[in-house]
Amino acid sequence: MTENSPDLDDTGHYDSGLPGFLGTIDEWIAKIEAVMLAAGVILMALNTCVNVIARFVFGEGMFFSGEINRILIILVTFAGIGYAARHGRHIRMSAIYDAIPARGRKVLMIVIALFTAAMMFFLCYHSYGYIVTLYDRGRILPALGIEIWTIYVWAPIGFAVTGIQYLLTAVKNLTSKDVYLSTGLVDGYAETETEV
Amino acid sequence: ANWRYAHEEYEGDVQDVFAYKFKEYIEDNSDNTVQVYRFGELGESDDIMEQTQAGILNFVNQSPGFTGALIPEAQIFFIPYLMPTDMESVVTFFRESKAINDDFPKLYAEKGLELLKMYPEGEMVITLDEAITTPEELKNKKIRVMTNPLLSETYSAFGATPTPLPWGEVYGALQTNMVQGQENPIFWIQSGGLYEVSPHLIFTGHGWFTTAMMANQNFYEGLSDADKELVRKASDFAFEEILDHIDGLADEALAKIQESSDEVTVTRLNEEQIAEFRKRAPQVEAKFVEMAGDSGQQLLNQFKQDLEDIKK
Amino acid sequence: MATILMVIMIGLLLMGFPMMIPLTTAAVVGFVMMFDGFGQMGTFIQQMMGGIRPASLIAVPMFILAADIMTRGQSADRLINMVMAFIGHIKGGLAISAATSCTLFGAVSGSTQATVVAVGSPLRPKMLKAGYSDSFTLALIINASDIAFLIPPSIGMIIYGVVSQTSIAELFIAGIGPGLMILFMFSLYCLLYAYKNNVPTEPKATWGERGRAVREALWPLFFPVIIVGGIYGGIFSPTEAAAVCVLYAFLLEFLIFRSLKLTDIYRIAKSTGLITAVVFILVAVGNGFSWILSFAQIPQAILESVGINEAGPVGVLVTICVAFFIACMFVDPIVVILVLTPIFAPAIQATGLDPVLVGVLITLQVAIGSATPPFGCDIFTAIAIFKRPYMDVIRGTPPFIAMLIVAAGLIIAFPQIALFLRDLAFPA
Ligand code: NA
Ligand code: NA
Repeated sequence: MTENSPDLDDTGHYDSGLPGFLGTIDEWIAKIEAVMLAAGVILMALNTCVNVIARFVFGEGMFFSGEINRILIILVTFAGIGYAARHGRHIRMSAIYDAIPARGRKVLMIVIALFTAAMMFFLCYHSYGYIVTLYDRGRILPALGIEIWTIYVWAPIGFAVTGIQYLLTAVKNLTSKDVYLSTGLVDGYAETETEV
Repeated sequence: ANWRYAHEEYEGDVQDVFAYKFKEYIEDNSDNTVQVYRFGELGESDDIMEQTQAGILNFVNQSPGFTGALIPEAQIFFIPYLMPTDMESVVTFFRESKAINDDFPKLYAEKGLELLKMYPEGEMVITLDEAITTPEELKNKKIRVMTNPLLSETYSAFGATPTPLPWGEVYGALQTNMVQGQENPIFWIQSGGLYEVSPHLIFTGHGWFTTAMMANQNFYEGLSDADKELVRKASDFAFEEILDHIDGLADEALAKIQESSDEVTVTRLNEEQIAEFRKRAPQVEAKFVEMAGDSGQQLLNQFKQDLEDIKK
Repeated sequence: MATILMVIMIGLLLMGFPMMIPLTTAAVVGFVMMFDGFGQMGTFIQQMMGGIRPASLIAVPMFILAADIMTRGQSADRLINMVMAFIGHIKGGLAISAATSCTLFGAVSGSTQATVVAVGSPLRPKMLKAGYSDSFTLALIINASDIAFLIPPSIGMIIYGVVSQTSIAELFIAGIGPGLMILFMFSLYCLLYAYKNNVPTEPKATWGERGRAVREALWPLFFPVIIVGGIYGGIFSPTEAAAVCVLYAFLLEFLIFRSLKLTDIYRIAKSTGLITAVVFILVAVGNGFSWILSFAQIPQAILESVGINEAGPVGVLVTICVAFFIACMFVDPIVVILVLTPIFAPAIQATGLDPVLVGVLITLQVAIGSATPPFGCDIFTAIAIFKRPYMDVIRGTPPFIAMLIVAAGLIIAFPQIALFLRDLAFPA
């Protein structure tokens, strides 16, 4: 009940708002994120299904199945937040925002994007710090024997990518005429008839 | 000052009683206050341990089973038939053991923790979907265990299929027959209602659920001598109170269980039957030494020495 | 401190920040106030990761994935056709069909928004053509989709179960009774509406047509059997049921109906992953936020200040209902469940209320609140999907909201409406 737009796939292609070489890198990052998201979900489904089948057929589930899902949840969440930022899909309460005239919306959007970016970089820094702490303590996943810090590395990466996306959204709003919800999405809630 | 203390159990459980006795002593004998946090309020067992290491919490209660990822030697309590079974010997062991009172504090200190007390909570009891008396009958039974590799080894050695599950899923898993049994002290079986879904209680005498209360070492070192003394005395006080508390607790819990369910059966293994299970312990000892290395071997030797000593 | 955190959170929410930011900012301010600086932010990260650790959360992406596959395939349409074949011809039959289809599709989907799309898109044009007013049609679709939130599976119930450590299986079973009761109330209202406005009836389907519709819907009808039967019969856990649903939806749409191609999997999985990430980042920061509240003992302080200790079980239930209802008029339901559940947890425990009953009521309140003006998020979904102005969308809602509030009152007065099936499935 929380998806911003119930549309089935409005994230088909992504054109970076960045010029030249940077834009190419950005589009590559978007592709990697998309693949990680899809692969994460498919692996989650496979892992869970195989575990159920194993339990019924062999009477015994896979003891590491839970830990694999834990890894995949983290992967999907942190690959997804950057992707959602890119496509302006994070859940927000936009009712008041939408009632403001375009000029005000633009100013507000710049404030929102800059502050959100700052917060993401803040979380990136501290999640990196937390990983270093975990690394020092050497805690492991009991069933798989993997060091826990290794499965958390997606957190700082995801925060960094998301932070950059919001920063770019602010830049885009500062440098162009329209109001942008993300680098690729023009704010056109009620006026434009986008396909849903 | 206001000191923060987190443990892993619910209101009225043994760790909660210990924490509140500790609090009572501190607050009666000084101007300090103690804020107790129960299970789930600040996260899982691992979380509150990390928070103590980070200095957010001053005191924490974590069972050695959960500490295994941090201090492998702490898993020694999962070796079956290592500890005595009768209450009196257990108490003497905890009071006099060199392993507990000298060796363990050093191991915890290496991780920035000041071990204040290790104490027993209760004898481990297995609950199952049917009454059994031999390891053979455990074959193909999935037994829920805490996520700890050595405990899994114990149940493999007993012939069962160990199935690690978080505590929150145990009741449902028993109910839907995803697992056929589990082990816990009897008062947990009673308070968690596990006997409703797993009514056959087997007293195998293979171990006691043990737990440990500790402080953040930097915090403890930074206390004045008077406060250190206060904390020590408060843990001693709570320890004595808890021994009183658990004495007879198991019998009360069992009585309550039998009162509220007609389905429940109680099987106490005799010496002969226990011998069959005991035969399987060396395999777990070997696994323990493999996991905990030389220091684990030394600790195991000391444990056995201590047990010899208290028999005299 | 409680006041400062709430002001920050609500202020940023209303300004239109992505919802993770108000939660994070309030939490960070809480940490700074509690620990005099940023020194303990590691624990915030720890609790974020802890928030998305519970194994039962896997059920969320699995149910979304299953529903996503079925929505893009033919299952949803086949279910609607079957309902229409049987009750389309009675007075108000089209409207009752819409409500019933929402309930049936709710047994497949965990979210109200997916239901609005799957049922509302095909049925709204038909209802308009038959002579129902647009405001009635929109209000019916929005509110009947709430039934989907109560009928298992339900993402709201999964999140509540994880946060409050309540059995998700029991919550699922307990949602069925209230869901059906609301369907009954709505159907009565549709009947009255049709008589009063003299809406013409639809042609009656022949038994041959009915037979064909049932045969076509037979496959999708197995979903509720898997979920409810599987959990009821103790065959598997909700998470496993979710995985089996994915497997089943895949077999159905890809192999039996052949409505989707293998290459569609990538797009479907990506879209599921996106929705999952957007929800889970909130679960993560929500857990970090409630940690600092819990550490600072704020829930106890708040509950004491509203005098909950003297309120008694019914008083506590009513307080919880009002709080969740009002909060959902403004904020996304997932966020409300994440923030408010831990705050009320001490009161629920102290009064000995059945956490399953509380969960069902909360789920219902969350659903009503999100369909209630000014800012209920379902309203904005409907605006986006059906491209209707705000006033048109909300005009018809008051009777439905009233019925839902009566339903909540009935459940508080007669908890057995929710607990009857639960007690049958899980005898204590
Ligand atoms: Na549903
Ligand atoms: Na709703």
